[in-house]
Amino acid sequence: MAKNNASVWTSIRFWRRSAAWVTGVAVVLLIFLTFDTMSQIRMGTDKELEQGIKRRIPAPTVINHHIDYKYDEKRGMEVPVIGKKEPFFGKEWSPKEARALLHLGKLTVQAKNCMDCHTLLGNGAYYAPDLTKAWLDPMWEKTMPAMTGKKTKEEAMAEFLMHPGQYRTHARAMPNLKITPKEAMGVVAFLKHMSSIDTNGFPRGFSKVIKEGKTGGTYAK
Amino acid sequence: MLSKTAHLSPSKQLAMNYFRVAIVLFGAQLLFGLLAGLQFLFPDFLYNVLDFSVNRMLHINALVVWMLYAMLGSVYLMLPDETGIDHPVAIGLGKLAFWVLTAAVTVVVLVYLFIQIGPGKESTIWFINEGREYLEAPRWADFGIVVVVLIFYANVFFTYMKGKKTGIMTVMVADLLALAGLYLAGMFYTDNISVDQYWWWWVIHLWVEATWEVFVGTLAAYGLIKVLNAKREIVEMWLWIEVLMLFGSGILGLGHHYFWIGTPEYWWEIGALFSALEPVPLVAMFVHVLYDWGKEQGHVQAEGKRTAIKNGPAIAWISINAFGNFLGAGIWGFFHTLPQVNIYTHGTQFTASHGHLAFFGAYATILIGMMYLGIQESYGIERMKATFKSKMAIVLITFGVVGMTVALTIAGYEQVLVERAELGAGWQAYFTAQNLPWYIQAQVWREIMGVVTFVGFVYLLWDLLTIGKKEAAAE
Amino acid sequence: MGFHMFEPCTDVACNNIFAWLNQGPLTLTIVLHTILILPMFWIYFSEKKKLGK
Ligand code: HEC
Ligand code: HEM
Ligand code: HEM
Ligand SMILES: [Fe+2]
Repeated sequence: MAKNNASVWTSIRFWRRSAAWVTGVAVVLLIFLTFDTMSQIRMGTDKELEQGIKRRIPAPTVINHHIDYKYDEKRGMEVPVIGKKEPFFGKEWSPKEARALLHLGKLTVQAKNCMDCHTLLGNGAYYAPDLTKAWLDPMWEKTMPAMTGKKTKEEAMAEFLMHPGQYRTHARAMPNLKITPKEAMGVVAFLKHMSSIDTNGFPRGFSKVIKEGKTGGTYAK
Repeated sequence: MLSKTAHLSPSKQLAMNYFRVAIVLFGAQLLFGLLAGLQFLFPDFLYNVLDFSVNRMLHINALVVWMLYAMLGSVYLMLPDETGIDHPVAIGLGKLAFWVLTAAVTVVVLVYLFIQIGPGKESTIWFINEGREYLEAPRWADFGIVVVVLIFYANVFFTYMKGKKTGIMTVMVADLLALAGLYLAGMFYTDNISVDQYWWWWVIHLWVEATWEVFVGTLAAYGLIKVLNAKREIVEMWLWIEVLMLFGSGILGLGHHYFWIGTPEYWWEIGALFSALEPVPLVAMFVHVLYDWGKEQGHVQAEGKRTAIKNGPAIAWISINAFGNFLGAGIWGFFHTLPQVNIYTHGTQFTASHGHLAFFGAYATILIGMMYLGIQESYGIERMKATFKSKMAIVLITFGVVGMTVALTIAGYEQVLVERAELGAGWQAYFTAQNLPWYIQAQVWREIMGVVTFVGFVYLLWDLLTIGKKEAAAE
Repeated sequence: MGFHMFEPCTDVACNNIFAWLNQGPLTLTIVLHTILILPMFWIYFSEKKKLGK
């Protein structure tokens, strides 16, 4: 193509070189960004959690703590707040136990394919509620423990996950996924851990209206 | 599509095999989509038997797999034309790979259907289901796919090295390497859900918004030369411009999936601006197709001939691709790509509406076009005109998918405004939106439009099976 | 009005170049775009020189 009087704009070579350059640099930039992001989203250590050092993804032992999701003036969004210690399934979990429990939970979440009905961190399917902050959902404060006859949130969740068909709250029910009691504990640990992840304020205004006791919504019951 | 391939070069025969499986899987995709859509309306339908998750998994896996099949088929179809070599260097191995892949896909589908889920152990990830949307295929199948793809790639690469090296094929060979390599990013397990999704998006996004798009660019370039006799220099220059813009925006556009998954705030800026530029190359691709069509038509008319088009259905599907890609990926993608919007739309029916129009517009269309090109060659037809059935397929499928997209967009708006903006997400907020009368109406329309799409598919299948014989006889 | 074009980093971690650049109006993304586009001018002129010969 390279005729003497041809314009650079119609030169294949120019476009090929530019394409190679731009692609190469974009890849290199992505790799740099990936290294930085990876260092920020690795799971925190138990020591960091003890010392109150903020991590985007805290250590598994975060399940031994109270978790809240509060508006932060400085960041202009809600952020997870890791509070005082509270028992989880009636005890405090050692770092090793907590890690094993989270491992079981994550494996179960994949093995049962929760992501093809629910969204996790907003990704997945849209047939059922987003689970990012499910641990903090107001329904788990009183309604569900009462319905399942359990004293604590975690026990109610585990019971629901094992027998969702028995505790229908809507016409669209969750099916029985043959989750064992051990797996259910793992899944609840996974959900509690996920609710402590700093998601840059997603979901925004989580359950605010319902928590404040306003029903809201044109058709809300 | 059934017979008449004996005289084709071995590479093209293999291409037709890939197309045959692809079209069957496309049908399966639609059937499972209809079942999943029905469950939105009648939640107890097949409850605890074939749950929504199973239908959806089959729906989207059949989607990805039929597209990959049709992509491999398209490469085997263009390989002889672009390299000048009829016998890819290891065609025997290539054929074997096809049968191995097809057997593996069959086993995976049977396991999805009849075993569905497993206990929370590594063995489930290895043998039943990996539980990561789109990448549900168990680990053993991942490794099988890697081996098959290596064989395929070796065939393409060494044939390319041996033959002539066109610009189209150069882009194709480089792009395929990236496409195959990215699959590896989705092949490991981690307890950390944020790290999990970080790499998951490398596969999903860098496939559909970078490597697959460039793949489609090469197919369109090849198709325009085949169907319209477009001038190679011009087509190849456009192709490099498209590569430049697609990779320049698409690679860092990945950031639009890193707004809320635990990743740092700086991704807001990167994801927003780079992905906002992603529609630009899609406009360019649209302009390019129309420009070439008009130009070549002008040439032949000057020569006193009636039409430049050598394959009616193929050019129709390629044009729908050009527009559908721009509309589904470009416009519908742009709708929700800024973090200010995405914080509300993230993970709603809005996403589903975009997913449908984008996958259809950008990929289904052009791959169907490639199938028509394959048939034309199988029957040695000089000029293949669209039949009544081709036209019915085009109209019904396109109308159906656009209808589904509009319905889901409306459902998405309702969900975004009520569940997210008004009530702030959560379990009750979610169902408040799901039970809104207008939301339910939209879901009904999605299902109706799904049926329209399916009827169109029946016409498509029927046409693919008969058009070759009919048009060959007409000539 | 609590609004500034320059916002000090409030992210969880600020000790990295990307978070630091992220504090001005679109500065981070403009920098990255510039790194990508600017050298294309050089490619342009080098091709022009070659074509002129
Ligand atoms: C076939 C689809 C399906 C699958 C698979 C599924 N769920 Fe559900 N899930 C639902 C539906 C539907 C509801 C709403 C039930 C209701 O309101 O009565 C629900 C409700 C829930 C809830 C309560 C809602 C909330 O916001 O707290 C939790 C928690 C939950 N599911 C967790 C899981 C987990 C964990 C998995 C995987 C182990 C899973 N689900 C798999 C459909 C599914
Ligand atoms: C052919 C190209 C494209 C295809 C096939 C495609 C497909 C998809 C699919 C299937 C999803 C949902 C993923 C999931 O299941 O979680 C998605 C999400 C998304 N896409 Fe695309 N897309 C394409 C191009 C684009 C473009 C060009 C843009 C932006 C301009 C874009 C913006 C987005 C965004 C922002 C999301 C995230 C939605 C959310 O937050 O829930 N897409 N895309
Ligand atoms: C018969 C017509 C179809 C019906 C009834 C249908 C139905 C569905 C349903 C119910 C879902 C699940 C959405 C959810 O999680 O809420 C889905 C997802 C999806 N479908 Fe379809 N579908 C059809 C055709 C298609 C076609 C033709 C394509 C593309 C070529 C497609 C691509 C997708 C994709 C990419 C997803 C995942 C979307 C996401 O995660 O955002 N579908 N479909
Ligand atoms: Fe994307």
